[in-house]
Amino acid sequence: MSDSPILSIRNLEAKVAEEDIHILRGVDLTLNRGEIHAIMGPNGSGKSTLSKILAGHPGYEPTGGEVLYKGEDLLEQEPDERSRNGVFFAFQYPVEIPGVSIANFLRTAMQARLEEGEELDLFDFQDQLMEAMELLEMDHSFAERSVNDGFSGGEKKRNEILQMAMLKPSLAIMDETDSGLDIDALQTVAKGVNTLAEQNPEMTILIITHYQRLLRYIQPDFVHVMVGGRIVQSGGPEVAEQLEAKGYENYKAATV
Amino acid sequence: MEGVTDSLNAEAVEALAAGEPQWLAERRRHAWSVYERTPLPTTRLEEWRYTDLRRKLKLDRLERLEWAPRSFDPASAPARLRATMEEDQEASGHLVEVDGTVVHVDLQDELAAKGVILMSLREAVSAHPELLETHLATEALPAEQGKFQALNAALWNDGIFLYVPRGVRLEHPVRVSRWVSEAGKALFSRTLIVADEASQVSFVDEVLSDDLDQQTLVSSGVEVIARPAAQVQYVSLQRLGRGAFSLIQQRTLAEKDSTLDTLNVSLGASVTRLDLNAQLRGSGANSDMLGLYFGDGDQHFDHNTSQDHVAPHAKSDLLYKGSLDEKARAVFRGIIKVHKGAQQTDAYQTNRNLLLSETARADSLPNLEIEADDVRCSHGATVGQLDQESLFYLMSRGMTRAVAERLVVIGFLGEVLSRLPLGGVSEKVTRIIRERLHG
Repeated sequence: MSDSPILSIRNLEAKVAEEDIHILRGVDLTLNRGEIHAIMGPNGSGKSTLSKILAGHPGYEPTGGEVLYKGEDLLEQEPDERSRNGVFFAFQYPVEIPGVSIANFLRTAMQARLEEGEELDLFDFQDQLMEAMELLEMDHSFAERSVNDGFSGGEKKRNEILQMAMLKPSLAIMDETDSGLDIDALQTVAKGVNTLAEQNPEMTILIITHYQRLLRYIQPDFVHVMVGGRIVQSGGPEVAEQLEAKGYENYKAATV
Repeated sequence: MEGVTDSLNAEAVEALAAGEPQWLAERRRHAWSVYERTPLPTTRLEEWRYTDLRRKLKLDRLERLEWAPRSFDPASAPARLRATMEEDQEASGHLVEVDGTVVHVDLQDELAAKGVILMSLREAVSAHPELLETHLATEALPAEQGKFQALNAALWNDGIFLYVPRGVRLEHPVRVSRWVSEAGKALFSRTLIVADEASQVSFVDEVLSDDLDQQTLVSSGVEVIARPAAQVQYVSLQRLGRGAFSLIQQRTLAEKDSTLDTLNVSLGASVTRLDLNAQLRGSGANSDMLGLYFGDGDQHFDHNTSQDHVAPHAKSDLLYKGSLDEKARAVFRGIIKVHKGAQQTDAYQTNRNLLLSETARADSLPNLEIEADDVRCSHGATVGQLDQESLFYLMSRGMTRAVAERLVVIGFLGEVLSRLPLGGVSEKVTRIIRERLHG
């Protein structure tokens, strides 16, 4: 079982929900357990759409192909089922939930993973939360703040990684996690992700990014280039370096 | 003579006045004459535009609930009343009213020794005539305040009198539970709270019933007076069953350097109409005015508030938030009124509504009327739907849609409760809303 890919995307096509805007035009991608993949691409290439389709965002609609997660049809599952099954989606723009503290939010999310009638151990929870906050260099008072409400860009992204640390996913999809981060915040976030990856060697990470800079801190095993709704090149970390040097111009020219 | 019926009439006033001291009998008659000559509000009046009283309140079908001595055994009290009494143990004193008759009062001995008075309003008439003659329906809620203020002043049966002497501070809240069980009746209850200079008290008035199979009018007249430097928190928690028409008229008077905060929670009843007039009558006075409503089915809420700044250098800050599901409907109408001499007033007013269904509706009408030139005032109102991106965010963390909705709604309303963290109220209200959102 552990030899089979955790995620297998075959000829996936997708469009904007309720509109005739087709974005993904046949994506193929295979992720094995414990691997770190990065998808890079210019604006409008469909890389964020791919991550949202995987998370089950209601704004996008698959129109063809299939996605198998742990051997099962992922696209059939509701967003909350996907999460309980181990998929984590780190938002590019985390949403503000006024009046709901981070502690309450995480408690509710972790309670949702338990069987009916089972109660979350609050002492364990508190210990885990403190540990995760220390990893991300967050003050303990952070737990009592309303989720993302009035947070800086860096705080929002750190809060995403905090949730990832608590929910311990099998597959973490990080959508433009580096956007809006200064260098210090970027390093803290990267350190958090790397520590989590070391602690959970089975965890698979899919990083969606426009720029190469995050990949200097989180070393991917594989880099894919997405243009025009398809993966046009796959390789090792050297692909990202080539992109850094030459940009996306060559790919764009090639697809026209 | 609109609103005079077979049961609500001058004879009823005379029946109550018989055996009462002269001053009170005259006060009732005067209130009745105001009631008689004031027309029933129609939707042509701005203040009643969204609540068609003639359709929603069938006064002529109501029978006035008369005062009667009642024996009360807490052990055999109705389940909902018992539950709330058991929950509210930590208190300076309790008062229980059943169908318009006060059946139980207790007050900590040390507080009684310091001169604190908590008793049935009816008994207070003979026990403390001078305090009542001075305060009852005079300064705060005289009949002239309006049609229903007058009706309550004329026909009140019983109610609550709380007096806190100068400098006395109550550590725990005074808790009142008012139970209504007789359907088809009109019930008039009155509350008078006087907090003397530099005293401190918090008061929780919870009114509740099961569902009632005929329209039942529950009228509550409330007057709260904070003398200089007093600190008062008044909480009304309305948990009446369907069938009830909750009519609440409140007036609060905040004198110099006093704090007089109110929290009105409307959860029950088929129709709720709340009129709150908060007068800032002394400089340095401060009133936080909080409100929370949650409705479903075809519940109708109409909250009508007034921040009445008479004195300079006073502050009022109003926040009313509500969430409505199914076909529930809410109206908020608030006015900040700054009189000519009330310079350096700070007055804020915010009403926010969160709709959980396509058929729920909220109307928000904030208003300013400012006659002074050196003031800071603001008002704002919003009516919004449940945000799909927020729900997706929570669901992507594993919560079902129902749990996600509950978290958003409770977070939204929680802002109000966190502003007045009074023993157990916030937890109780949160629990009730959570249970209702389960359904």
